[in-house]
Amino acid sequence: MPTSASSFAAAVWAILRKECRTEWRTRYGLNASLLFAITTLTSVSFAAGRLGDRADLLGALLWIVLLFASLASLHHGFVREVEGHTLTLLRLVASPAAIAVGKLLFNLAFLLVLELVTVPLFLVLMGAPPPAWGPFLAVLALGSLALASTSTLVGAIIAQTRGRAALFAGVSLPLLLPVVAAAVSGTRGQWQQGSIGSELKLLAGFTAAVLGASILLYDHLWND
Amino acid sequence: MSGVQLATPVRSAATVDIAVTGTALMHRYAPGRGLDPIDFQVAGPGVVAVTGRNGVGKSTLLRIVAGLLQPTGGRCDVVVGGVPRAPGARRTCVGYGAPELSFYDELTVAENLKFATEARGDAGAGAAAAAALAEVGLAGRERDRFAALSSGLKQRLRLAFAILFQPPVLVLDEPGSHLDDAGRELVARLLERQRERGLALVATNDEREVRLADQRIELRGRGVGDPA
Amino acid sequence: MILRGLLFAWIAAALAAGFLWAPIVPGLGPTTRVLYFHIPAAWITVVALAWSMLHSVLYLRRRRMDHDDHAAAAAELGLLFGIVATVSGSMWAKAVWHSYWNWDPRETSIFFLLLIYGAYLALRSSIENDERRARLSAAYSAVAFVTVPFLVFVVPRLYFSLHPDTVINARGKVDMDPRIQLAFLAMLVGFTGLFFWVLSLKVRLSRLERRRAERAAAW
Repeated sequence: MPTSASSFAAAVWAILRKECRTEWRTRYGLNASLLFAITTLTSVSFAAGRLGDRADLLGALLWIVLLFASLASLHHGFVREVEGHTLTLLRLVASPAAIAVGKLLFNLAFLLVLELVTVPLFLVLMGAPPPAWGPFLAVLALGSLALASTSTLVGAIIAQTRGRAALFAGVSLPLLLPVVAAAVSGTRGQWQQGSIGSELKLLAGFTAAVLGASILLYDHLWND
Repeated sequence: MSGVQLATPVRSAATVDIAVTGTALMHRYAPGRGLDPIDFQVAGPGVVAVTGRNGVGKSTLLRIVAGLLQPTGGRCDVVVGGVPRAPGARRTCVGYGAPELSFYDELTVAENLKFATEARGDAGAGAAAAAALAEVGLAGRERDRFAALSSGLKQRLRLAFAILFQPPVLVLDEPGSHLDDAGRELVARLLERQRERGLALVATNDEREVRLADQRIELRGRGVGDPA
Repeated sequence: MILRGLLFAWIAAALAAGFLWAPIVPGLGPTTRVLYFHIPAAWITVVALAWSMLHSVLYLRRRRMDHDDHAAAAAELGLLFGIVATVSGSMWAKAVWHSYWNWDPRETSIFFLLLIYGAYLALRSSIENDERRARLSAAYSAVAFVTVPFLVFVVPRLYFSLHPDTVINARGKVDMDPRIQLAFLAMLVGFTGLFFWVLSLKVRLSRLERRRAERAAAW
């Protein structure tokens, strides 16, 4: 008989694999998101040119591109379940917490794939100075985690509404502002050789707060 | 409903003390739509038919029993093997099949069921899935994508999912829909088997299915509109 | 009825006191008067947010539509007062600092609150089923509640990063002339009364509408 902890882990893992498999089979989500991210990046690069000496602007632009990419793609997880009418199936095989964590991990993986393409391209196109890799990646990692956890939760909320994708951007943005601000500040800081400890702490704290809220809220989200 | 400790899935056939009780149970989707207050008690082993006009709340009642919906009023208690099961944990003891249950279009029949068994953390996942598929007559169709199935075959897959874990409580909403005569015989067989090992609740207006039941819940509310 | 009359009389008296009786703050000139409604409006924006979020959480725990009525009504009023605060603040900024918008900490915070209100109300308007609307908007409100404190920490960074040489907030409230203080506090109380009175009206209205809809559906 499975214990509850191992069932939880099994459910999360099964959901993650299922998401990856369905995403891989259709791939329209990933393609569209990659295209969107690259288009945004290209527009920014066209408009702003090379900004090698403007660490403040570079940080801001990088995170605007990542923010837009998230807003355009991270709601798919839940919206597709609702539109495909598979949410009932999901709820019958896994606990709300397992669904939440599984979707979060998928969103995180998705975001990481986007970043693997977008971030190097950004650094090259914008003529950015070489980053201090440790701090840069730390901000990137924690910022992505904060983006993904907030987006997953908001995605679950708006999936059952009518606006869905259109609503997702507007509804997530206010919540994501602290993340973007801290991430921009941290990215700028690592180029200016400043200390970014407080930004990292803020991002970590934010993620913890959102995850904590998610755990409490997920049971309520699908009582219908 | 709070997330409670997952109850260990009950597998043995000797789960004779099963009871589902509704106390002033009601649900309101919007003014005038939903399930009117109802009191009932049904006990297993046996088959219960839930009947009533369209829109009166049969599907709503079944969703509440399965733990998928939290009622706006009253309560619904499910006791299996003498242990009450909270709504958050009902999926471990309830097998559910309904028209609104759909599967992943991009996955094959086998992959869909395997996902279900893997998510439950059951070892021997493959065997349970294969057995269920054989039971409902989908044995040769494991590799077909769900999107490619006809409505009758989709309904069989729903039945396979419902019986997948040999649940003590089987909840079926209009199980005969889209099925041919062979399919309806399948439903009758499944209900007979469930009658011995546990409790089945079937929402239906089909006389053939009603005749299979030995208990009945008749809903007589207002029932206008579709609880979507 | 009497209370309503009293409330109006109170606010009228406070306004009169502020405009006619209290002196002007030396640095601000005639623009001093703005603080009699700009700051109370901003204060109510925050109170409304807290009230709305509190009732959202209460709804999730108790599932009584009453709480949802309060949450929604408070949010709508909060948005209204927020707009009043932002617009009056912006005009004040133009008069004193010669620029409509500076992204200084307070301006950023109020803007952020307006965004949250807007998002909350947009979310509500996209759901028809009232139980689902109550539940999902309450969930959103709860999430917003945990993210608001982080903005407080982040705003100074944002401010310094984009506009390092902006004029520091010169609202020297510390030594207010007692007459100004009195009129100001009176307006604060008056606005609070106004908010809760209109809130009670909106809540009653929602309740009546719901009852009417149920009665109509019963036929």
